[in-house]
Amino acid sequence: MTDVLGGAEPASPLPSAGGVVAQGVRRSFGDVQAVRGIDLTAAPGEVTALVGPNGAGKTTLLLVLATLLVPDAGDVRVAGHDPVTEPDAVRARMGWSPDVFGLYDNLTAREYLQFVGEAYRMGRAEAGRRAAELLDLARLPEHADRPVHTMSRGQKQRLGLARALVHDPEVLLLDEPASGLDPRSRVELRDLLRRLARGGTAVIVSSHLLGDLEELADRAVFVEAGATVGEHRIDALPSSRAARPWRVRSLDDAALVRALADAGHEHGEPTSAGVEVRLDSDEEAADLLAALVRDGVPVVAFSPLGGALQAAYLELVEDER
Amino acid sequence: MTPQGIATVARQEFRLRIRAGRWRWLLVAFFAVLLGFTVLLRLGLSNLPPQEVPFPGTVLYGGLMLFVLGLALLVVPALAAQSVNGDRERGTLAVLQVTRLTAGDIAVGKLAAAWGTSLVFLALTAPLVAYAMAQEGVPVGRVVVVTVVLALLLGTVCAVSLLLSALLTRTSTSGVLAYLTVFALTVGTLVVFGLATAVTAERFTASPEDYCPSDADIPPDVPQPERRHVVDDCLAQTETFVMTRTRTDRTWWLLAPNPFVVLADAAPQLPEPPPGIVVNGPSAADLDPLGQLGRQVRGLRDPPPPGRGPVYEDPLEEPESQAVWPTGLAVNVALGVGALVLTARRLRTPTRTLPRGQRVA
Repeated sequence: MTDVLGGAEPASPLPSAGGVVAQGVRRSFGDVQAVRGIDLTAAPGEVTALVGPNGAGKTTLLLVLATLLVPDAGDVRVAGHDPVTEPDAVRARMGWSPDVFGLYDNLTAREYLQFVGEAYRMGRAEAGRRAAELLDLARLPEHADRPVHTMSRGQKQRLGLARALVHDPEVLLLDEPASGLDPRSRVELRDLLRRLARGGTAVIVSSHLLGDLEELADRAVFVEAGATVGEHRIDALPSSRAARPWRVRSLDDAALVRALADAGHEHGEPTSAGVEVRLDSDEEAADLLAALVRDGVPVVAFSPLGGALQAAYLELVEDER
Repeated sequence: MTPQGIATVARQEFRLRIRAGRWRWLLVAFFAVLLGFTVLLRLGLSNLPPQEVPFPGTVLYGGLMLFVLGLALLVVPALAAQSVNGDRERGTLAVLQVTRLTAGDIAVGKLAAAWGTSLVFLALTAPLVAYAMAQEGVPVGRVVVVTVVLALLLGTVCAVSLLLSALLTRTSTSGVLAYLTVFALTVGTLVVFGLATAVTAERFTASPEDYCPSDADIPPDVPQPERRHVVDDCLAQTETFVMTRTRTDRTWWLLAPNPFVVLADAAPQLPEPPPGIVVNGPSAADLDPLGQLGRQVRGLRDPPPPGRGPVYEDPLEEPESQAVWPTGLAVNVALGVGALVLTARRLRTPTRTLPRGQRVA
């Protein structure tokens, strides 16, 4: 668990190295090919984002990793074990949180976590201790003894995450954990997952919300129509290459618009959020900002619209078409 | 599969049932109906002259047990028929399957909870059984046997209902099918037995030995020399008829799995008065609803008489009819165990095949 891989593109880790290795995974349901060739590696100590539109096969892949579904083809190792032939070994080391809560409305959060602890073969006392720890971790102590049906969506989401952590897994699989969360809960989720990764956990997070993942993940694996279409390290995203919209806000809209027109940039109408400008690269953005400041335009905000991840994703999708 | 795993699942299921709250009213209603039945039956019995019912406890207990079985068969399918697919619908099943609980833990734990709940319903009869025992004619051994058999029969219904909930995606479908299973066991066995008996009836040529009355068939007030005369005259005939007779000795097993048949026949027979001793009024065995039903179904196993034989045969030397309940109970228990094994197999993950429309999680 101390083997934290860093650096450049991941070298294919050995099956025994822990984390998650999936190669050539295929799975169909009847005539529908849900997954038709996904490759994915997730190293211990990293958060790997599984990014793709709805129906891309993310959930199906996670079900395979979570020992629930036998793939039609492909090699899979989770925490060094094969989920098809050694499901119990995988279950002892893997935590999974589905995109539905799957909670019991009439139990309290504490009772629920205690029950899950017992399902992981803890003694009652040990399960009780672990439940108390997780309630703190998930910031739910004030809800510990209230039934689940009184909890908010965000609280249920956190309880679901705590459930996946009951047995302190080496591999954590989260299906759409950020959907339906308010901004504060998202920040907390991010901090928690970063903390777990620092502790050596291999975390896989699926999402179709790119903005959340950029701050959260170390790597992103893009899937579309059941296949891996690209893989990026977030910190090495080729953001400067991409042409994308930027938003500039100024205290003086008229001066800003005049300056943009003078510099020959294509721009939108001023709104309360600012003016959108399409720029070809980060270098061009830096030059424009310098020019605006030099010309005395009172700029208060200058930022790309959509993150680098979104840009990389859109570029990828455009390449596909 | 571990005892702890089973206990974890069973405890959880029990807790969820208790929290759900509806059970209270169901238990109250169940007991109220049983109480009403017992009170009315007792009132009915006390309208008869005491010498006709010297053992009111026997009638009360036998009637109550048959009634409890019928009522429980109406309640018990609901206890398990939505157990697995209901969990699937709420998304709670997959979450259990990725823990270290095995498919066997989940299947046996769920069955234990459903069966345990059905035994709570059975336990509600305890005060009424005690009331019946306080009157005459209910040996303790009989209560023990009947209770065990009732529990096994309810366990079978629980296991089959659980299997249906594991096989079928929709909770409403499995609910309906669970009740249809009970219907098949109770009414279905009776109908199939009746039809099979009619189909397998055979024609045979009856000689005087087959159709003449025996000594016992003649009213007792006919004096002895005349009785013998009637029988001998008949036997002296040479005419034969083609007659039809049923062969229930070949079809009785179709009726054997019927829960009411199993229960009645498994109840130990009450003692008859020793032969030759004249008792005033009916014996406990004569009054016993369980014993009467049991004797009737046992009689189905008797082969047709090979002709009249010695006409003055002593009726007390007739061979005992064979019991039906071992077959019936074995069928029921095998059904329950088989259903449990299939349920566990159905819960095993990772899954290769997935029924149409069923989600993993």
